[in-house]
Amino acid sequence: MSSGVGVNAECLTAFQELKLGKKTKYIIYQLNKTNTEIEVAKTSTGTYEDFLGDLPEDEPRFAVFDFEFEKEDGGKRNKITFFSWSPDGSKIKAKMVYASSKDALRRSLTGIALEIQGTDPEEVSFETVLDKASKGA
Amino acid sequence: MVNYGGDEVSALVIDIGTSSLRAGYAGDDTPKAIIPTYYGYLPTSGADVSMADGTEGTETSSNKTQPANTYIGQNGPSIWRPNMEIGNPLSDGLITNFDPIPPLIRHALEDVMRVDATEHPVLVTEPAWNTPENRERMAEIMFEEFNVPAFYIANTGVLNAFASGKGSALVVDIGQSMASVTPVVDGFVLRKGLAYSSIPRFVHNLSRSVLSMNSQYRLKADLWPHQLISSKMPVDVGHPPRYTLREERVAQTTESWKVWAENREIDEWLQSVGAVSDQGWNEQFLSRAAPKQYEFPTGYATTYGAERYQVSEHFFISNHNSPDQPKTLPGLITESLRACDPDLRQVLTSNIVLTGGGSLLTGLLDRLNIEMPRNFAHAKIHAPGNPIERRYGGWLGGSILASLGTFHQLWISKEEWQEHGKAIVGQRCK
Repeated sequence: MSSGVGVNAECLTAFQELKLGKKTKYIIYQLNKTNTEIEVAKTSTGTYEDFLGDLPEDEPRFAVFDFEFEKEDGGKRNKITFFSWSPDGSKIKAKMVYASSKDALRRSLTGIALEIQGTDPEEVSFETVLDKASKGA
Repeated sequence: MVNYGGDEVSALVIDIGTSSLRAGYAGDDTPKAIIPTYYGYLPTSGADVSMADGTEGTETSSNKTQPANTYIGQNGPSIWRPNMEIGNPLSDGLITNFDPIPPLIRHALEDVMRVDATEHPVLVTEPAWNTPENRERMAEIMFEEFNVPAFYIANTGVLNAFASGKGSALVVDIGQSMASVTPVVDGFVLRKGLAYSSIPRFVHNLSRSVLSMNSQYRLKADLWPHQLISSKMPVDVGHPPRYTLREERVAQTTESWKVWAENREIDEWLQSVGAVSDQGWNEQFLSRAAPKQYEFPTGYATTYGAERYQVSEHFFISNHNSPDQPKTLPGLITESLRACDPDLRQVLTSNIVLTGGGSLLTGLLDRLNIEMPRNFAHAKIHAPGNPIERRYGGWLGGSILASLGTFHQLWISKEEWQEHGKAIVGQRCK
């Protein structure tokens, strides 16, 4: 079941730039004001900390982060990670619209290696994500 | 035909549970009409007579479509009438008798909300274990009897998951008669992982036996409802009650009405006195369990200590003396997860959504919070703090979904129904 919300073409362009161009580090997606389409809120070259700072405390967002980490044996890995950020403090309607629209965006992005569903800062902390990312690496 | 534009589709949302039927406008945060699903009726032989008796039948506008001898809504079952029986169209959370459904919906929409269903798309909710025949029958009722312009049927598990902001979640829903665990992944129910049992009803029946037995601590409580009591005298706590019954009414009270009224008293007792201990059942805890006083409609007041916890403990621990006990909550959760793909288990356990009116039992959330992490490493339980959101979670989810302008492409329109018939329900509403 889904909400029928559409995905702006820009979302895909930004994702391709991140995936292939390696220019950007992360993308934040949001729903437009009328809740009809998912659009790009921000693209950035910042660090994971900057990224967490860009997730609002009381509003859901989608995000893609090019997660880079080192394996124990020293090998470097990259995992493009998809985030569904839905903090407990958000309005119930916003949570609902994001949850039911996620599939539309998620399906149009190919090459996602890891998915994170987060409701509080701990669930998206660097350590949690690192832990999940290194499991399958 | 309704013009869908922007966010205002003015859809209606109907959520039918064992205890109540909730109906309201999509976009609202609480249902406008909450009516009991239980209804009163007089055995058919007396139908014409009761009609002739005059005005005390059902509320005005719907008389033409509704047999004159059913009593629905706030003034339905709860008002005592001679020889009135009580029925419920649901058993085990599923609609098994469709005859009273149109009158119930009609009452909620036309008499309570005063809205014309032919002008609004209608979204109806269904439990995850609903049958294809049932949902098709519901579509048929809405299109053929109510002439709705568009219809959708949505799963309460998915709606509850969405309402807590999750595409994937393990939804634990505790209702009046059933408790269910529904794994939802990316907005779809994993049917093989669905687990449900009638444990709430089992706890209810246990409460009945605890209340109606004389014990060394107290007298048994008579469960007479206030409708059958003509007067009572104040008595001290623990003393036998002094009340007089309305004998003329008692003589004409049916067994089904009496059971219904007694069940209400039991539910009330369970809701106000019943509780779940956070550390489980042990003697040490019981010795310091805070007693709570409760007064029955007969005027009999007494305090309950250990018994408060004893009955609800069965939500968690199975009793070896009663092999017919339905599955407990941890049992259901384990069963559900076991049936799911191991890769999904972690996502599900870290997104457990607790909902349903039965989950409001004192201490139940705390107990789950303590028990789940013991069995599952990453368990995390999300429960709306607002009791309204928990009680009407399914309705609320439907309300938001149906209010989205973009959702209109998913509605089954009347034209589509006429062209494709029943088959479209299964295709569209997944």
